Amino acid sequence: MKYRRITRRLLMLAAASALLLGIPAAATAYASSATTGTGWIRLAHLSPNTPAVDVYLYSFGDTNAMIVLHHVAYGTVSPYESVPAGDYSVAMRGAGASPTSQPVLSTSVTVAAGHAYTVAGLGPESGLRLQVLEDKLTTAPGQAEVRVIQASLKQQVVTVTLGSTVLASGLKFASVSDYQPVSPGTQSVTVSSSGGTANSSVTLAAGTVHTLVVLDGASGLEVVNLEDASGSGQPPAGGVSTGFGGTAPHGPGSPVPWLVVIGAGSLLALTGGLKLRRGRQLNAGI
Amino acid sequence: MPARRPAAALALAAGLAVIAGGTAGLLLTRHSTLAMRPAAAGVAALPAPTGPIVAPPPSAAPKPVPAPVSLTIPLIGVRTQLITLGLTSAGELQVPSSTAVAGWYTGSPRPGAVGSAIIVGHIDSYNGPGVFYRLIELTRGDKIYVERADGTLVEFRVTSVQIYLKDRFPTEDVYGPVPDAELRLITCGGAFDKATGHYLSNIVVYATEVS
Repeated sequence: MKYRRITRRLLMLAAASALLLGIPAAATAYASSATTGTGWIRLAHLSPNTPAVDVYLYSFGDTNAMIVLHHVAYGTVSPYESVPAGDYSVAMRGAGASPTSQPVLSTSVTVAAGHAYTVAGLGPESGLRLQVLEDKLTTAPGQAEVRVIQASLKQQVVTVTLGSTVLASGLKFASVSDYQPVSPGTQSVTVSSSGGTANSSVTLAAGTVHTLVVLDGASGLEVVNLEDASGSGQPPAGGVSTGFGGTAPHGPGSPVPWLVVIGAGSLLALTGGLKLRRGRQLNAGI
Repeated sequence: MPARRPAAALALAAGLAVIAGGTAGLLLTRHSTLAMRPAAAGVAALPAPTGPIVAPPPSAAPKPVPAPVSLTIPLIGVRTQLITLGLTSAGELQVPSSTAVAGWYTGSPRPGAVGSAIIVGHIDSYNGPGVFYRLIELTRGDKIYVERADGTLVEFRVTSVQIYLKDRFPTEDVYGPVPDAELRLITCGGAFDKATGHYLSNIVVYATEVS
């Protein structure tokens, strides 16, 4: 009878503990960007002699556009849009063209969770193409990452240096250099070509990823500094100590004092019982 | 005759009573006391702060954003000023000396700029709840506001809530570069290790600026 009650009590305790453990477990069901299955995409118009366009982003197979950017001119780069991982198509139409008209150009892009992409219209108008670039989302500790997109038609081949570091040598029109790690700080960027050079200055913080875009400006070459991504330049080591335990659950106290009490009680009861019995035996003997 | 041995009978009765008391005490104290969790109703939800809400930053030529000064999470009744935090000599993240305020890690992007801004607060003190005591209650879609030095607000929405063992802390996920304006709120959680005086896990709330 008593054992059954104790068993039931233990079962109830076990169920309560499971429920308590279940609360944080349920909370962790929401996942972060990498695990919620979202990635990022941004759209760019980098074809110098192509007029402004409307850019459409479709979830693959859906005829309703998720995003429409109107009147996107040469040199324009959109902010990143967070999208569920999956297949998408990007279409370009002349600015103001009917959304149902045949696109001038389209391409497909597969967005992986936790990854970022730039879909850029590159090349001359006569050879315009939509290129999918994967954008880097990591840096070495204390470093910045930078790459170059060459989108100048007037100067078809350029060499780009950052301080004394060559970022791209002999980079041809409509091509893209690989990212490379560089020391953070404010440094001069020099773009040199057969038609002259252009100088500017960029600030690249530790833990950031950049794309430098070489454009045909109103008067010569221009450099646009895109911040692709940013994080902590010096990531803190390990976890964070943000608690002192004032609200933490406490374990059961020691059973020893209670066992001592039971032991003492037993001794007392036993002594009393024995004396009582001896007394009876003595009485019976008389 | 029992009457002739009153002391023995008394001892027997007292002994039995002590056994019963001891057994009851033993059984009643065998379970853990639960974590101190004041009723959610006890803390009223705060109204959203008022002020001009800024748009997320563009990729090209983003403007420098003002420093963060305060944090409001209406749903869980958090409203705190933000102090600045750096790294310890061991390279670990500093924590606020007060358990009642949160802090922004100055080595991370400013809230509302491109990147993963880091804000840290305590779950508790030695005696009771800290500023991020109810952080674990946040779920996807909940709103977080950061007010900046120029009086503008950045509005974030929670995208996920994670709990990580500290010895498996995902540094890259939490502190690594991201291409949009995001926020991570960090506090302690999970089991408390009495021997070291530290919680074994960290709770990380991920949020993204609303466009």
